[in-house]
Amino acid sequence: MKHPMLNYLKETGMYGDRFPTIFCPGCGIGQILNYTLNAVDRIVQKDGLSRDRFFFASGVGCSARLTSHYLGFDSIWSLHGRAPAVATGALLARPELKAIIFTGDGDVAAIGGNHFIHVCRRNLDMTLICMNNGLYGMTGGQSAPTTLRGIPSTTSPYGNVENAFDLCQMAITSGASYVARWTTAHPQQCIQAIEKGIRKKGLAFIEIMTQCPTHWKQEPAKMVKKFRSQGVRFSQEKEKETLKKDQFWVGEFLDKDQPEWLETYQKIIDRFK
Amino acid sequence: MKRYEIRVAGFGGQGVVTIGKIAGVAAAIYDKKNAVQTQSYGPESRGGACKAEVVLSDEKIHYPKVRSADVLVALSQTAQDVYLKDLKPGGILIIDPLTVVKEPPRADIRVVRVPTAEIALRVGNKKFQNMVVLGALCQLTGVISEDALEKAIEETVPSKTLPQNIEAFKKGIEYVRK
Amino acid sequence: MSENNHTAFEPLLTEEEAKKVVRGPLLPGDYYLFGSDACVEGAIFAGCRYYAGYPITPASEVMEKAAERLPQVGGRFIQMEDEIASACSLIGASWAGAKAMTATSGPGFSLMMEAVSYAVMSETPFVIVNVQRPGPGQGYITSSQEDVMQARWGHHGGGSLIALAPSSVQEMFDFTVQAFNFAEKWRVPVILLADETVAHMRERLTVRSREEVKVIDRVRPQDLGIPYEKYLPYEGTVPPMPAWGDGYRVNVVGLVHHPDGNITKYSPEMHFACVNRLQRKIEDHVEEIVEVEGIFLEGCRHLVVAYGTTARSASEAVVELRAKGKADVGFLRLKTLWPFPENRLRSILGQLENIFFPEMNLGFMIHPLKEALRDRVQHFISIPSLGQLHTPEQIIEKIEEVIGK
Repeated sequence: MKHPMLNYLKETGMYGDRFPTIFCPGCGIGQILNYTLNAVDRIVQKDGLSRDRFFFASGVGCSARLTSHYLGFDSIWSLHGRAPAVATGALLARPELKAIIFTGDGDVAAIGGNHFIHVCRRNLDMTLICMNNGLYGMTGGQSAPTTLRGIPSTTSPYGNVENAFDLCQMAITSGASYVARWTTAHPQQCIQAIEKGIRKKGLAFIEIMTQCPTHWKQEPAKMVKKFRSQGVRFSQEKEKETLKKDQFWVGEFLDKDQPEWLETYQKIIDRFK
Repeated sequence: MKRYEIRVAGFGGQGVVTIGKIAGVAAAIYDKKNAVQTQSYGPESRGGACKAEVVLSDEKIHYPKVRSADVLVALSQTAQDVYLKDLKPGGILIIDPLTVVKEPPRADIRVVRVPTAEIALRVGNKKFQNMVVLGALCQLTGVISEDALEKAIEETVPSKTLPQNIEAFKKGIEYVRK
Repeated sequence: MSENNHTAFEPLLTEEEAKKVVRGPLLPGDYYLFGSDACVEGAIFAGCRYYAGYPITPASEVMEKAAERLPQVGGRFIQMEDEIASACSLIGASWAGAKAMTATSGPGFSLMMEAVSYAVMSETPFVIVNVQRPGPGQGYITSSQEDVMQARWGHHGGGSLIALAPSSVQEMFDFTVQAFNFAEKWRVPVILLADETVAHMRERLTVRSREEVKVIDRVRPQDLGIPYEKYLPYEGTVPPMPAWGDGYRVNVVGLVHHPDGNITKYSPEMHFACVNRLQRKIEDHVEEIVEVEGIFLEGCRHLVVAYGTTARSASEAVVELRAKGKADVGFLRLKTLWPFPENRLRSILGQLENIFFPEMNLGFMIHPLKEALRDRVQHFISIPSLGQLHTPEQIIEKIEEVIGK
């Protein structure tokens, strides 16, 4: 029986065979692709939105490979960190498009940091799905702005001397409308969050902690299982609690309705009609 | 007309660039000549040096800047000091005696003193000084028609102050006609 | 400060002001405009409805005019966080179907090279205006022609693009329209190499009607009746370009690729064919793209070559020399810098004793010129100027030094 989400992918076709994908065995990206397609499918079914209204953009890295040629949608595998900027242009040129950006922690917070905080500040109507594996996967396991202090990597062989960003906090502070963090071990929550994010008129940032078994040198199943104990459900009451060193908050951190860039700018255009 | 070169220089804030712009619009759009207008600034926008140039011709204009000015308007002492040497022999030097106090050290030019700041103040505000300059330029050079300049002033200045701007312009013409 | 965020927004515009506005391209007629403004009007005339930019002297006026005009014509303007973002957003806007433009100067131009390179590989049309200023580094804020080589070679990797050099306010309009036409026709980024002088100069602009001035739009597969899944591989020179949202589910990628878009089956042959095709797309059609303009070429022994605003100092110098009796001095202007009009020059120029080449740089375009005409010309003399427009005197002096008074 054919997996229903395969309808949204280009298994074969104009460019030949794409499957199997390039992702490592046990990689979380495949799961995230599945969650995203499920979310899009729900919107296509429930809201009657044509799938050709969606476009996907990515930068560079393992996360970015999702748009390389697997998607049966308009898409762009663009430049490292620049997908939010590319998507900005597309939305302003054709506001009825729905933008979904696949990014990684290095892509969104290092080279793409500036573009990330500005699309949040502008509250542009796009959905950023950040696959956070805590390092640079594609290039061999270098430390990233999200690598925890003290952790070794190929560029921090003696341990990471730096601190890590909290990407969700950055999104919230910069002005996003919907911010959530889950892990690949939370399939239903991920799908719901992405669905909510796409529906949200404004910037939706969904961080999904992802296993990279290749560079962390752990078994994928063990890593995914560990996510369930590392991810502590967020609530206002619990916020004052201190988390253990390898734990992180998961849940919906922000869900606001606020003016979005395109609808604000439209007021100017409408005055000249 | 082969090529007629106008240079206006002074401090930032005296409306030097506006003089150039209005002269250019008048000549190019209303008198239907060719007119290239350029400008340059010193470091500060108020009080720093400021220069505007307009090159007019009935033929195509190649080099867009002043090579050897036919008329120099100096609204500051520095303007006269720096640009007097580029004025053609037989050229016209228009100075405001309020700010340009030193005698121009050349005998081969026609010097016309126009108290532009004072006349502008009498009209109501020192900022109309540049309109007085335009009037003087119009009357002394004869290269841009009064009608064209009036139209150009009308489309450039805010409608509220148009009457005073025109008044200052006409006073500039009158003053040098005497 | 953050209390102001997310509050309701009302445009700062009175009814009166809104009524006075031209809600489309300028109507045919004469206008007296800044070069920067003429450039934006040219873009709007050509159908540009997306502008992204970042402030930089001396290009900010282009952006400011775009901020004012784009919403008036139903387009959108955005000031991005840096030049990288501005240029990258042009890629997205173009793939969503819009004609897109940005303007910058040297330091910003360097930041845009990544996006230009991507656009060359992905055949994404857009226009970048470079109002050149001196470099290297922060350099200065006056006029320059120092980015003329960077325009062609600044993006990493191969492949060709097109660059034009306007020399008047009229050309800031006309060449911008032309830049968009080239971008749409050849699916390539086009650079408008302006400079501080022409951008900040005012002259008359004559806008003609849409019947007289052609505007070219990219060819889409649906224009050729080609459905989804059938538009690649494409046999012609320039593949049709669908827009996102049209249902073609196009995956845009910056890697070397097969003619059908496949990026997985790598081979040296595929690689060579891919990049070579991008170069040949332009280089094999140079005659359809380049334009030069010569005066007094008949019987000339000494030629003055120039481009951009410098051409005006040069033509003034030549006119004056001829008036003084030098009947063997001619003048040639390059309107297109890239692709370099090598064959065009060879077809209109014979043997020459001297070529004088004033440039607002230390002699850049003189190199492809030498390459094109070395067998026909005895001496090439560069006349450099940095930071300011050559005076006709400077050029005349140099020429008379060589050929006598």
